[in-house]
Amino acid sequence: SSAGYDRHITIFSPEGRLYQVEYAFKAISNSGMTSVGVRGKDSVIIVTQKKIPDKLLDPSTVTHIFRLTPYVGCVMTGMIADARAQVSRARSEAAEFRYKNGYEMPTDMLAKRVANINQVYTQHAAMRPLGVSMILIGYDDERGPQLFKCDPAGYYVGCKATAAGAKKQEALNHLEKKLKKDPQLGTEETIELAITTLSSILSADFKATEIEIGIVTVEDRKFRTLSTAEIEDHLQRIVEKD
Amino acid sequence: MTDRYSFSLTTFSPSGKLVQIEYALKAVAQGVTSIGIKATNGVVIATEKKSASSLIDDSSLEKVAVVCPNIGMVYSGMGPDFRVLTTKARKAAQKYKRIYDEYPPTGILVKEVASVMQEFTQSGGVRPFGVSLLVCGYDEKGPGLYQVDPSGSYWAWKASAIGKNMVNAKTFLEKRYNDDMELEDAVHTAIITLKEGFEGEMNEHSIEIGVIGGGNFGFGPGKEEPVFKKLTPEEIKDYLANIV
Repeated sequence: SSAGYDRHITIFSPEGRLYQVEYAFKAISNSGMTSVGVRGKDSVIIVTQKKIPDKLLDPSTVTHIFRLTPYVGCVMTGMIADARAQVSRARSEAAEFRYKNGYEMPTDMLAKRVANINQVYTQHAAMRPLGVSMILIGYDDERGPQLFKCDPAGYYVGCKATAAGAKKQEALNHLEKKLKKDPQLGTEETIELAITTLSSILSADFKATEIEIGIVTVEDRKFRTLSTAEIEDHLQRIVEKD
Repeated sequence: MTDRYSFSLTTFSPSGKLVQIEYALKAVAQGVTSIGIKATNGVVIATEKKSASSLIDDSSLEKVAVVCPNIGMVYSGMGPDFRVLTTKARKAAQKYKRIYDEYPPTGILVKEVASVMQEFTQSGGVRPFGVSLLVCGYDEKGPGLYQVDPSGSYWAWKASAIGKNMVNAKTFLEKRYNDDMELEDAVHTAIITLKEGFEGEMNEHSIEIGVIGGGNFGFGPGKEEPVFKKLTPEEIKDYLANIV
């Protein structure tokens, strides 16, 4: 039930809910894409679908994985325009931190900053919540590989594995099963788990051009995306395993 | 803020109620239960740490927050709103320290936080905070426990509960509380009160406990000033072992 403008702006409904925030989550599911993030023993991976709806589009410009700092990357799930706005803001915050403090902004602090900004949108009527979920990855000198998710409610949390988007619940169920025994996964296994999770919930065998992968490892702490050739390699390895 | 929202969203209904605040309280009542108990020589606050999934790394979630060395707080309701209030509380504490060269007494800090919460029920273009807070501290007046609501009103309590199971928890506390309780008993009582409404398995990772005081802490010669700290999982495990 609702009263007044509670469905239009972020004020409380009679049950104490924020409808605008809930609708923002729906917008993420409606985007039709799913993204997955997995944290291994010394690496962390993000994977998302790459859908090119029109043959005339330049595929190199279609991406949902963004580099926020040389050491922190993210995958955005939801409305691409809101995604670019949030990425732009996150990059600006991280750069300001680096300038003011003289060292790179840690992943968890950047996640907290993004989440705090999202919280403001849930409390001020003049700005709507953004229809995106951000999954951040990075490598922390003291704590190892890091994986965080920020959502429109202003909530953020560190995870061993996470998913966002249309089929996020199926992905989370799949990941929970696979990580139940707390296996300490090496880089290769982590990549495989991320890819196989996505392909199993979407019931599809991917071509290298249909997915994007972002990675941070202990050897090379810098965030980078895998090239099509590297993705092809991993897919091959998965096929051969079966 | 744009001028389009220079009017308050929290306005009086014909019956004289501020409905946005009432709805905010409903949001709090849907939150996970939190308990606070004041003892003769300290205060304890505790809450459930409910993780929606086993994939969540619960070391990254902080529900019991340290505001300054002598004050801590916990909440029931919307996590993101709590983060905003912890930042404001921490800043207010430091501002006080800069002027008076000591950390604020609990009541003063609570007044600050409460007035922030009240602002958001009256300012333009914002909604009230969807959290109730239990703030605990130890100052020269002794141990103190306060509850702050979304409206910005606050009271001092001997023992209180907020969130989903607050009615049952408060009844439980009324029976078990007595004025001569010491901190150790208070922690024990807090845990069994939480256990009453607990869904799922209660272990050292699914609850968070913060304490201040106890033992030989206090103010004055020969005594150490009390410091607020969160119990480690090992310490919680010990307490849990004593219950079963």
